[in-house]
Amino acid sequence: MTCGELNELLVDYVDGRLAPAAQRNVERHLEVCDTCSALVTDLRTIRAAAFMLDRHEPAPEVWTRLQAAVATEPAPKSRRLAMPGALGRRSLGEGGNWPVWLGAAAALLLATVIGLLPLMSRDANLATDATAGAGDTEISVASVAAEFAAAEKHYQKAIDDLQTIANQDTGELDPQVASVLQKNLTVIDQAISESRAALKSQPASNNAQDGLFDALRTKVALLQTTVELINEMRKGNQAEAGRKFQTLSQ
Amino acid sequence: MPPSNPISDVKSADLELVERIRGGDGSAFEALYRQHATRLYNLASRMTGAKGEADDLLQDIFLLAYRKIGSFRGESSLGTWLYRLAMNHCLDVLRNRHTRMGRQTESLDEPEADPVASPVPILSAVNRIDLERAIASLPPACRAAFLLHDVEGFGHQEVVTVAVASYDLW
Repeated sequence: MTCGELNELLVDYVDGRLAPAAQRNVERHLEVCDTCSALVTDLRTIRAAAFMLDRHEPAPEVWTRLQAAVATEPAPKSRRLAMPGALGRRSLGEGGNWPVWLGAAAALLLATVIGLLPLMSRDANLATDATAGAGDTEISVASVAAEFAAAEKHYQKAIDDLQTIANQDTGELDPQVASVLQKNLTVIDQAISESRAALKSQPASNNAQDGLFDALRTKVALLQTTVELINEMRKGNQAEAGRKFQTLSQ
Repeated sequence: MPPSNPISDVKSADLELVERIRGGDGSAFEALYRQHATRLYNLASRMTGAKGEADDLLQDIFLLAYRKIGSFRGESSLGTWLYRLAMNHCLDVLRNRHTRMGRQTESLDEPEADPVASPVPILSAVNRIDLERAIASLPPACRAAFLLHDVEGFGHQEVVTVAVASYDLW
């Protein structure tokens, strides 16, 4: 690949939108070309700086003045509207309807929280059971195992849902953010894998169970933060997006 | 998770909001304003380089939106429609400014003479002030693309949707 050929792919590369083969070609060129490598670094720096630019608020009087101006206007003319069903023929990729994505993300986040409610109850119940002592309800090993399996299923469902919506748009994440996200996901997946192995060798171990739940919780939190970050970016709330990125980086 | 079609949900919400505005519901128009004002304010401010006039620009954009809401047919989202209208207005402001200054009308795609733009040194660090200045020095069409994509977070397709439809010079 020549520097000229890389130029054609540069923006897509920085945006993370290249096919794997093209991405490998670019990376091979970057390994041997300091100029192009510096250019990519600069683009990423500019992208990150753009993302963090200050966001100013309009003066409160604007709305007051606007209200007064609108009051003197005739009512807007009505026109027959397209029905919602008509949009179904248009894919998200074609239409680029970002508020649709926001709606989906919000809905899935809500569903995730709802899905985790039984698990929160389980934790609360276990805490109550622990403080109540052995004299109260006896919890059988089988019931705990079933409860654990159900709880893990909830987590996995939440993770899958969040992963799906995060994957839909991580291509538009700043490469720096995407890189941090990928790094953290790799670490957490490794922790989940190790916790599962520990639990498999010691199925009755509370520590092993807690370890797996902690790892799953961490992954849910990471994906939730990612979705929230993308939402804030889409809404244009740079300050909040910056805070989400800080959380993501921790 | 309840079965729902989020595309239809948002579409319905947009259409419902528009219908309420058309029906004279002031709270619906305020909801539209609150939802988009900050983002449009910053976009307009950076697009025109007129921070001192940004409040007036924002008011103009929303007044235009109110007048034209009857032309919203629901083919795109209300947000996309609004950004298209805002971008169009910003480019009109820039054109009028050029005209007022007695300069020959030129394609907005044509790069302006700019000591910063050529040759561009490779930057090792960019601070916000430098970046604000660099954005202001871009030709309007490039500025629009950069602001929409890199600052406002629009995807490539949305940039095209907003920009192409808002100006025929693209």
